Amino acid sequence: MTELIQHLTLGFTVALSFQNLIYCFIGVLLGTLIGVLPGIGPVATIAMLLPITFNLPPTPALIMLAGIYYGASYGGSTTAILVNLPGESSSVVTCIDGYQMGKQGRAGPALAIAAIGSFFAGTVGTILIALFGPPLAELAFEFGAAEYFSMMVLGLIAAVVLASGSLIKAIGMILVGLLAGLVGTDVNSGIARYSFGVSELSDGIGFVSVAMGMFGFGEIIANLGQTSETKHVEVSKVHSLMPSPRDVKMSIGPILRATVIGTIFGILPGSHTVIAAFSSYTMEKKLAKNPERFGKGAIEGVAGPEAANNAAAQTCFIPLLTLGIPTGAVMALMVGAMTIQGIAPGPQVMTQKPDLFWGMIASMWIGNGMLVLLNLPLIGMWVQFLKIPYRLLFPGILLFIAIGAYSLNNSHFEVYVAALFGYFGYYSSKWGCEPAPLILGFVLGQLMEENLRRAMLISRGDPSVFFTRPISLGMLLVAFALLLMVIAPQVRKKRAEVLTAPAD
Amino acid sequence: MAFHNRDRKDFNAGIMFIAIGAFFAIFSQNYPMGSAVRMGPAYFPSVLGALLVVLGLIVFGRSFFLVDREQPTKTHWRPLLCILGAASLFGFLIGPAGLVIASAVMMLVGAFGGWDFRWKEQIPLAAGMTAVTIGIFHYGLGLPFKLFPWSY
Repeated sequence: MTELIQHLTLGFTVALSFQNLIYCFIGVLLGTLIGVLPGIGPVATIAMLLPITFNLPPTPALIMLAGIYYGASYGGSTTAILVNLPGESSSVVTCIDGYQMGKQGRAGPALAIAAIGSFFAGTVGTILIALFGPPLAELAFEFGAAEYFSMMVLGLIAAVVLASGSLIKAIGMILVGLLAGLVGTDVNSGIARYSFGVSELSDGIGFVSVAMGMFGFGEIIANLGQTSETKHVEVSKVHSLMPSPRDVKMSIGPILRATVIGTIFGILPGSHTVIAAFSSYTMEKKLAKNPERFGKGAIEGVAGPEAANNAAAQTCFIPLLTLGIPTGAVMALMVGAMTIQGIAPGPQVMTQKPDLFWGMIASMWIGNGMLVLLNLPLIGMWVQFLKIPYRLLFPGILLFIAIGAYSLNNSHFEVYVAALFGYFGYYSSKWGCEPAPLILGFVLGQLMEENLRRAMLISRGDPSVFFTRPISLGMLLVAFALLLMVIAPQVRKKRAEVLTAPAD
Repeated sequence: MAFHNRDRKDFNAGIMFIAIGAFFAIFSQNYPMGSAVRMGPAYFPSVLGALLVVLGLIVFGRSFFLVDREQPTKTHWRPLLCILGAASLFGFLIGPAGLVIASAVMMLVGAFGGWDFRWKEQIPLAAGMTAVTIGIFHYGLGLPFKLFPWSY
């Protein structure tokens, strides 16, 4: 307990320094802005804004990037409630009842409850990271190569089981990602694989360029492919933000339950905030005395999903910071950002750079607070941003992506890589292959090969090492069970139901 | 089972997986394979590539048997060519011509891929955004950009 307080004190000292507060603020502000603007997701944003962080020290850089991420989920809910447009995929669920509340003139209370619920869930998430971070990192120090390999298998499998669309195609995209991640100089032999004499390729394909291409260029092309500009948006008026005592009373239960749900989904490898939000919505609807209110402006349908997606957005940092394993595309980008800053993500971050680790955690809580204080009064401004037509927005986004890719290495090669992956991403999603599993595989490619090699070297080439070590066996069994679950017909049906609804 | 009635999404995705898997598996043969104990640089990519080919074959094969055959949406050539063309032009111009020209060209070519292109809107926008990026990246962040064709 005293240790926890010591850690948090250290964290808050770091996070409350003037510089870090400023970057946290910039991060959540940019994040909210992006969350509000439809047509550009957090992955492309973080990739695009990475160059801004190059000249910063690691702590403010990561604080800012994390702020962009959870800021985006706040911003997304604002547009969901006001104009029925999920600015970001995790707020799809909020649209259902949030927009109805807005139409009934209760946009204010909906926004306030969403903010309060998110803040509460974010606070719990932060405390949980502080509590479970250190023991998990301890555990991770015990991991050998076999455990790491099995954990990555589990992470990748879990990621696709919960992803939307075809399971087999998602696994295919993981394999493509793993293979593309292997391009470049092999650490053990020094051989430049698949570089074909191109010197840029012998350093490997830049992860950030891949993400920018698939999520940035690819998404813009897909957006422009839609027949016409979104029609004139009708914005609900915000009269008063104050929720009535009855609203508050009805929201407490959903927020508490959703925090638990969100936390669990956040920690699980590969989970998405969308699933957390959807589970909470389904649960509240089942628990409600009169479920027919849902879909017609039930405040529980706003409070729960918003709390759940924010809790998940916080706790998904746990596997990244303690085990060094990214659980989704955004976390994979955070790995990229850490690597650029010269930090290898993993349990050693906590012991070797405690100020970074705890500072980042404390900043998440502060950032969540800033979001509540800032966004409620700024709603009018965000609504103005919503009115910017996409045709004026996307050329600027394009330019930022190109500059971002170029400045990774000061090389035009990265811009071409991004363009190529934009092309690839556009076609593969057209054929029902999602880009997110590829990104995850891409980040883990070399790491997985490294650990496989090491495990096999230690076991003298006996593959049973993965099945005889208990932790490794456990993880593989869970991965196998997950696969079986998806193949089972009932689950398959349910999964299709849940996942087709929030398609973005 | 009919060829003309296949699920084109799976058909194409299958071919894509087979091609990528085969590419990596075949070219890995240029590198030492090693053994299971000491894996060479070819080991892991060969295994993954072969796996991907197998998956690709399954996806390809099932495209003829699926009940609800889905067809992918049409390719939107205009945004595809304009956006990626703009990106390639940026990459091509940034070295010799500098950031100012590369940015402006990219914005205009890219904007042409959108609906409803209007010179009156896009030219001031391109000029404004170019100024903003130079302000942020060159002056604000001090990233080493060459601004004009004649600068170093």
